[in-house]
Amino acid sequence: MQLQVKLTLFITLSKMAVAALFILLLPRLIEDIAFKYNDYYLHEQEKKVLLAIRNNGIETYLQGEDNYGSYTMLKEEYISLEPATSHYAGDTIETVKRIVEKDTLTYRVLSHQLHANGKDYMMEIGRKYTTISQYNRPLQRMALYVLGALISITIITDLVFTRYLLKPLGKIIRTRLFRSNFPFKEQGPPVNTTTADFKYLDNSLVALMNQINVAFEKEREFTSNASHELMTPVSILQHKLENFLADGNLEDEAQSKIISMMSTLNRLKKIVHSLLLISRIENEQFPRQDNVRLNTLVHQVVEELEHRTAAKNLDVKIELTATVVLRQLNQDLIFQMIYNLLNNAIKFNTTNGSIHIKEYLTRDTYHLIIQDTGIGMPAADLENIFHRFRKHSHRNNDGYGLGLSIVKTIADFHDILIKVSSTPGEGSTFTLVFNLRSQKASA
Amino acid sequence: MKVLIVEDEQIMAQEMTAFLKSAYTCEVAGNAAAAINRLEEGCCDFLLLDLGLPDMDGLQLLKEARKICPDAAIIILTARGQLEDRIKGLDLGADDYLPKPFSLLELQSRMHAIARRKFALQTATIQVGDFHLDIQKRCICFQTTDITLSRKEFDLLSYMVLHKNRPLSRLQLSEHIWGDYGDADYDSNFIDVHIKNIRKKLSAYSTVEWLTTIRNVGYKVKL
Repeated sequence: MQLQVKLTLFITLSKMAVAALFILLLPRLIEDIAFKYNDYYLHEQEKKVLLAIRNNGIETYLQGEDNYGSYTMLKEEYISLEPATSHYAGDTIETVKRIVEKDTLTYRVLSHQLHANGKDYMMEIGRKYTTISQYNRPLQRMALYVLGALISITIITDLVFTRYLLKPLGKIIRTRLFRSNFPFKEQGPPVNTTTADFKYLDNSLVALMNQINVAFEKEREFTSNASHELMTPVSILQHKLENFLADGNLEDEAQSKIISMMSTLNRLKKIVHSLLLISRIENEQFPRQDNVRLNTLVHQVVEELEHRTAAKNLDVKIELTATVVLRQLNQDLIFQMIYNLLNNAIKFNTTNGSIHIKEYLTRDTYHLIIQDTGIGMPAADLENIFHRFRKHSHRNNDGYGLGLSIVKTIADFHDILIKVSSTPGEGSTFTLVFNLRSQKASA
Repeated sequence: MKVLIVEDEQIMAQEMTAFLKSAYTCEVAGNAAAAINRLEEGCCDFLLLDLGLPDMDGLQLLKEARKICPDAAIIILTARGQLEDRIKGLDLGADDYLPKPFSLLELQSRMHAIARRKFALQTATIQVGDFHLDIQKRCICFQTTDITLSRKEFDLLSYMVLHKNRPLSRLQLSEHIWGDYGDADYDSNFIDVHIKNIRKKLSAYSTVEWLTTIRNVGYKVKL
């Protein structure tokens, strides 16, 4: 998952969680506030009444009666004064039911005992329960609106900001890493950012890629130079041996020793040749301008190898259509690639075995499949078969296993994907996947 | 025919001279200046030119040489072996191109081919025992009968005829027949099969004693 997506999810979910918590708690909070305010209001009313009694005496209310009671019009509030029946118990506020003119109503009631004219009186100031919480709903709604708006605004600003913040990272990935094939191309200017971490990342990446390019360049140069330097002494040796043999006056034993030396020299020559070929392909020294009719080419390769297939009595089946023409390839290299693959298919085949060459076309790709009934390879070997000089458990006669390295190099050079599957004892299948889209794209 | 070998590796020039001297008159120039001096004294038929010279770019020398001797056959020999060198060299008028290390047999066979094409000196048909070998038409016949050989069989036979009276190893033969792609050492076993076929096809008409086997080595055409 991309960092941007992760951050977006985290920001949205965490804010939603906060909002949910708040929504759950909101009714209780508002009710609590409303009750606290109501109690405060009752105390204020009590102070007013007590002040009036102190200044004007209790008779202001009792007016000669034993008790006093008064309601507001809608029975929202009331006040009552009655002779006290119990001992002084301090102020209390509680929610109680009162019967007012036959209606049973719930009130929040403040009770206070006071002493006047030598008598104890119980004073009650009440406020109707429904009046207290009448603003709860609109308040709740308002709070919800404000909360919703705030959360939306913060989510949007957070997202915009993280997006802006992560933009350089996206650019680094796009320009430096995405579809970046080796050897790396010249890297563009540094990514524009004020974030130190991204600057560091970008600079390190570019430095690393350049370092790899330099190392690669050096290796290429070395391979090429070493090959050239080796060619001259190899040439001299070969010429000396050829002249020796041409002499004709040698004894049998000397002759066969020269033959054996020539054979060894030939091996050396082949290695140097192969290394040079790989190095030249990697140096992009071959043009890719040929249109190749694979059907024709495969037949040519098979003909070239006829003596070997005949020696093992192999059945070679070619099922290719004549119409497929692949563009922008190097014919010689493609020939070499298929030659090496078929050569292996013969070399590691069993007597009376078979080789099946077939094709498979999709909209964007062309698959050339070479299937043999050879000795196969264990799965563990499959990863390494394209590495230079890698020995394989079952291919000890192979010696200088450069054939498949060349195949791989040629395939990479032409943007051809190679797939291998193999079962020991049953055979191997090499599939070359030609990318038709890249051929068209570069046309 | 006169051959000028332009090669700064002295031993290499010596070996080439030793091999070619039976058929050609060879001279050696160790650098470009010596080569130009030598050419100005008088043209040669063949110029075997190494591109990696100490005093001048080989391709530059090729241009100069073409000016001095427009008719000479020029073969480029190089260890640089770069494709563009090959294309440039042939564009500048070289007749052939051999990357090092090459076989001396191969060099001589290329020289023969150029000579045939360019100078038309050699007769195209060669008498081989009771047979006539026509290299240009690529056929071998007994009296008036064409004998059908496969492409590789004909290549093999004409190569051996060209290098008649020399012992030729299986490796050398397979290197010529299967070229750069093949694995000459491995393929050398198949030479025997081809030789057997050639003998079988030809001996139906006349004796093929001239095609001899040399134990432990290979074959020789004795003419």
